[in-house]
Amino acid sequence: MISLQRVTKVYRNGVTALEDVSVEIDKGEFVFVVGPSGSGKSTMIRLLLKQEEASRGEVFVAGKNLSKITSFKVPHLRRNIGTVFQDYKLLQDKTVFENVSFALEVIGKPKHVIDQRVPEILEYVGLGEKLNAFPDELSGGEQQRVSIARACVNRPLVLLADEPTGNLDPNTSVDIMRLLDKVNRIGTTILMATHDQAIVDAMRKRVIELERGKVIRDQSRGVYS
Amino acid sequence: MAPRLESFFRETASGLRRNGVVAFAAMSTSFIALFLFGLSLLIAREFELVTRVLTGNVEVQVYLNDPANPATVARLTEKLQQVQAVSAVEFWNKRRSCEEFRRLFEGQDVFLENVDCLEVIPTSLRVNLSEVTNFSQITAALGCSIVVDDEGDQHQECTEPGVRNVADYQKLLDRLDALTRVLSLSVFGIAVIMLASAIGLVANTLRMGMFARRKEIGIMRLVGATNWRIRVPFLIEGLVEAMLGAATAIAGLFLVKVFVVDNLRGTAPWLPLIKNSDVVVVMPWILLAAALVAIVAGTIGMRRFLDV
Repeated sequence: MISLQRVTKVYRNGVTALEDVSVEIDKGEFVFVVGPSGSGKSTMIRLLLKQEEASRGEVFVAGKNLSKITSFKVPHLRRNIGTVFQDYKLLQDKTVFENVSFALEVIGKPKHVIDQRVPEILEYVGLGEKLNAFPDELSGGEQQRVSIARACVNRPLVLLADEPTGNLDPNTSVDIMRLLDKVNRIGTTILMATHDQAIVDAMRKRVIELERGKVIRDQSRGVYS
Repeated sequence: MAPRLESFFRETASGLRRNGVVAFAAMSTSFIALFLFGLSLLIAREFELVTRVLTGNVEVQVYLNDPANPATVARLTEKLQQVQAVSAVEFWNKRRSCEEFRRLFEGQDVFLENVDCLEVIPTSLRVNLSEVTNFSQITAALGCSIVVDDEGDQHQECTEPGVRNVADYQKLLDRLDALTRVLSLSVFGIAVIMLASAIGLVANTLRMGMFARRKEIGIMRLVGATNWRIRVPFLIEGLVEAMLGAATAIAGLFLVKVFVVDNLRGTAPWLPLIKNSDVVVVMPWILLAAALVAIVAGTIGMRRFLDV
């Protein structure tokens, strides 16, 4: 589902963010990418979204070679990838329902699909009662649930999560991880960048550890360090 | 398709509301630019009408030395009829010239009462030309040329006996032509500058709109909205601004036609004036210019956002 083959990323300012990284992730896997700040976790996610291009090597997502697809096709790639961020990235002037429906609207889904899927996914993430709330009326955990709902509403093959629990307290983080696990169980491949040790240790999933742009450990059912 | 269109327009409307002042500035600059653009077209049209009246069915007056005896008239008539470009020659005596004078200045008593037309207006031969540009053939046949006297003034002298002078159309035509060109070119020049600034302002509103909505745009990108889906609401916004400008410009031109041009209609009956239909003819050009403003502004304003 995700494959990085000898990928190196050097930014224009000369910083090498990833160096000769090779990783294979199968369909339905749940993978943690861990490492200190600046180790290349975010760069890996940016490469998978084709927000950045690899300097060397090949990146495959959902069977597509990202260096070969034209910028014209990038939006269609992204429709297969859900993304969740530390800062939720919700639109403050839209309700919970509108934040999620926005993701379907802008890719041209018809109204009857939106009206069916949005309440469904919000029910799924446990926000069935808060369709009309605005983001600032919600707790951090609830806001992250909205963001996960938005990422999943188009039924992506892959979910990329960049520090999704970074702003949350430990109990709320556990709730979010339960939700992500639930999403994983319906077949969504999940790649989550984090440095939340407690969570990684508790989940016992595959762990890829990066340090200064290199993979120093790739362990199934691993722990943080 | 329906929900998509609806969401386009919702975004456009909220964009216009959000930066209302800048949108208004863009709209009013578009209005002024398009108004001047239309005005330059109407000025050109007006001069075309005037030129057509003056050059179409043109008649050259050959003024004679008074009193003109019938023999001279006959001789000159024959001579002029031999000129290739001349289609007809007619002798106008004093009385006929006076009637024409009264007709032209009808209602303007200052002229009619103070000018003794029988005294002032000379008898003349009215020469019909097939082609106004062949005017020089007449002056050549009558031996007329421009001479500069000691004081540096220019006047016409004719060697042919009995001929006083020939009304000089060439100069008038040249002048008219030059005037048309200068007037409509300068108005057009101003219009072009204004159109450029309208493009700049519309582009700026779009850019500010995109900046204000950069988070929204970022999310649209992430969830896989195409570039067109992201740009179209902004393009529509630019188009709405330019088209509102165009609509007010067209209204403005009609007001000018009604309150300025129609007021002149009474004062100078011989002068052909633009009609409503001439303003209507200009409309599509204004709309076209407005569309151009919106498209160019969209391209400039969103260039930075073209990359994924």
